[in-house]
Amino acid sequence: MGVASYIKDITDTVKSVFEGMSITFSHLVRRPMTIQYPDKIPVPIQETLPLRYRGILEVDLDICTGCLACERVCPITCITIGIDMNKETKQRDFSHFDIDICKCMYCGLCSEVCPTGSIRHSQEFEGASYNPAGLVRHFAPQPASLYKPKKGGETDPKLAVKVDIGQKYLDEFATPDGGAAAEEK
Amino acid sequence: MQAYLDQLIQGGAFAGMPREVVYAIGMLLAAFIVLSAFVAPLAGVTSWLERRVWARMQSRVGPNRVGPQGILQWLADGIKNLLKEDIIPTAADKKLFSLAPYIVFMGFLCAFVVIPFGGHLIVADLNIGILYILAVTSLVVVGILMAGWASNNKWSLLGGMRSAAQIISYEIPAGVSVLMIVFLAGTLSMQGIIKGQGWAPWDWYLFHNPFTFAGFFLYFTAALAEGNRTPFDIPEAESELVAGYVTEYSGMRFLFFFFAEWGNLYVIGAVATTLFLGGWQVPPLAIFENSPMLLAVAQFVTFFLKAYLWVFVAMWIRATLPRVRVDQLMSLCWKYMVPLSFICLLGTVAFMFVPADGQRITSAAMFGLGVAITIIFFLRVGFQIRQAKPELYFKPHI
Amino acid sequence: MEISTAVFYLIALITVGSAAVVTFSRNIIYSAFSLLGTFAGVAGLYIFLGADFVAGVQLLIYVGGILVLILFAVMLTHRITDVEITNRAAGRIPALVIVGVFLALLIQTVRETPWVKVKEVAYQPTTAKIGDLFLENYLLPFELASLVLLAAMIGAVVLSRKEIKE
Repeated sequence: MGVASYIKDITDTVKSVFEGMSITFSHLVRRPMTIQYPDKIPVPIQETLPLRYRGILEVDLDICTGCLACERVCPITCITIGIDMNKETKQRDFSHFDIDICKCMYCGLCSEVCPTGSIRHSQEFEGASYNPAGLVRHFAPQPASLYKPKKGGETDPKLAVKVDIGQKYLDEFATPDGGAAAEEK
Repeated sequence: MQAYLDQLIQGGAFAGMPREVVYAIGMLLAAFIVLSAFVAPLAGVTSWLERRVWARMQSRVGPNRVGPQGILQWLADGIKNLLKEDIIPTAADKKLFSLAPYIVFMGFLCAFVVIPFGGHLIVADLNIGILYILAVTSLVVVGILMAGWASNNKWSLLGGMRSAAQIISYEIPAGVSVLMIVFLAGTLSMQGIIKGQGWAPWDWYLFHNPFTFAGFFLYFTAALAEGNRTPFDIPEAESELVAGYVTEYSGMRFLFFFFAEWGNLYVIGAVATTLFLGGWQVPPLAIFENSPMLLAVAQFVTFFLKAYLWVFVAMWIRATLPRVRVDQLMSLCWKYMVPLSFICLLGTVAFMFVPADGQRITSAAMFGLGVAITIIFFLRVGFQIRQAKPELYFKPHI
Repeated sequence: MEISTAVFYLIALITVGSAAVVTFSRNIIYSAFSLLGTFAGVAGLYIFLGADFVAGVQLLIYVGGILVLILFAVMLTHRITDVEITNRAAGRIPALVIVGVFLALLIQTVRETPWVKVKEVAYQPTTAKIGDLFLENYLLPFELASLVLLAAMIGAVVLSRKEIKE
């Protein structure tokens, strides 16, 4: 270690500390990035979140085909789907569709593989509960029938709206470019 | 303090009481007043202010719920800690575990005895003032080692050892920087050192010569290291040692350690102000001459603001610099700060032989340099703001 | 009894009591920490004698330096509590003899010293006087002490230095 490098060490230290201090000082006159939660803003906080925010999962069971793609792709198996044969109608019904929010790690894989966009991330993030059982979301409280896509588009106007919402979500969220094209529009 | 008590004794206020008892009661009263009316709120408000300043520097808001702008946050924290269960681990050494916080607290609190808050506002102007501060703060090391050992926990022990090694290493550059000022002032007394300087910045020892200017920064850095402040807070580095020597502490005992840490910030600022920044000296204005009360208030405010500026700088450094590694810490002390502080000491001694005119010119030049550095600094801040193009917000509250 | 006498005995009690704990405690950590009381008590005695500078230096060097060094040695020594502390090889009788001789010597010294009772201790700054004496009457011992310290420092550097292999 020569004298020159010794002096260089000292001057470098002083310079970098000086520069760093100026940067932090400049932050004193900047507006904080964080906002006062949950009050002091005019609209609910959920509405200010970005389009592709990964909040708590929600399922629109009316357009769910019961393909189980989400259940299989989930890396921590937080989704459990039960499908039974209804003996009266001879159709398959959901017996349960549960998502354990405790386990969910918000990776978004399930919403990417969903063919109809029925499982998707909402803007909701306030998941506090008094007991862990309350964090398991039951999307099929009573047996419900599976959705069957019709050839040539949906005819039922009520379902058509939901299919459109799901397709829009897929276009924005699960595209190869990560929804960048949709955001530009 | 003693003079005032003497006056009262002469007036017959304490008839029939031995003089020593009056002194002892007076001292205890002074200690109580200083502790409850100054140190406790100061440490508390410092803890709140640090969190606010730190938050703003990190683009956050910080605690602002308890009281107006969260200024009572420290009271809430204090009450919370008082009500918490005081846990002593089963495997801990109970006697030493209970004793350690008080020794740390005592070491820090003793320093307040000689801090000159104003021309007459000092508990005792000991003629070994600054040596006394160096001596009593070494009690803190013993307390920290005691806490580290008694917790019977490897993180605590490592934290205690690191802290002790750090404090005794950095005592050398700090001591040598102090020695520089003692040479210039020719006294160890805190009031004597302040009286050796003037009210104007160019009369301060900070701008006396280039070596004291460098020595000030050496002292401040070493003092930060002695106070276990970031970037030298490896004894309580949460990423490696949980919380160092306070890992096993809870409730009020935990609070004692942090009370000492935040109060110690003010002691660092006050000692730096006394040694380098002219202490409580105020300009000799006409209004002060016939109103000693106003003079005392002005002196107190001057001293407090100067000292608190350095508390703010310590917070600011904490928000800026990452913590150093243990080997970096030791090499910084022994390879850089110790030799530099000795160079500064020799330089200052050599400078004492410069004739008075030369000294005055140097002081003026150094003051100019200080102003220039400040201006460059703010230009640099302006540059950072222009480059980032942020949304500006000048109000301190949100 | 005057109050200053009472305070003196209190400080003496702290000093001697802590020293007793240092000697008799079975726990070496307690012994080491009790030195704090002893050193602080001695500093208190110095203050009683009006030696402010020496009291400050006593705290600074003994508490801040030597006590911490002892604690480091105790804490860093591997399995120090397992070591048999009492050296039984020497036995109690030789120890008693040595203690007895020392006690006799001390008592003789106390009895022969012409004690002077000072009426009033004048509390004056002693720092400047100590400095003057160091640089005038006691210059040679002072410089010799610095030399010893320098030699010790160089020795420490040599001992802890790593071999640099070419």
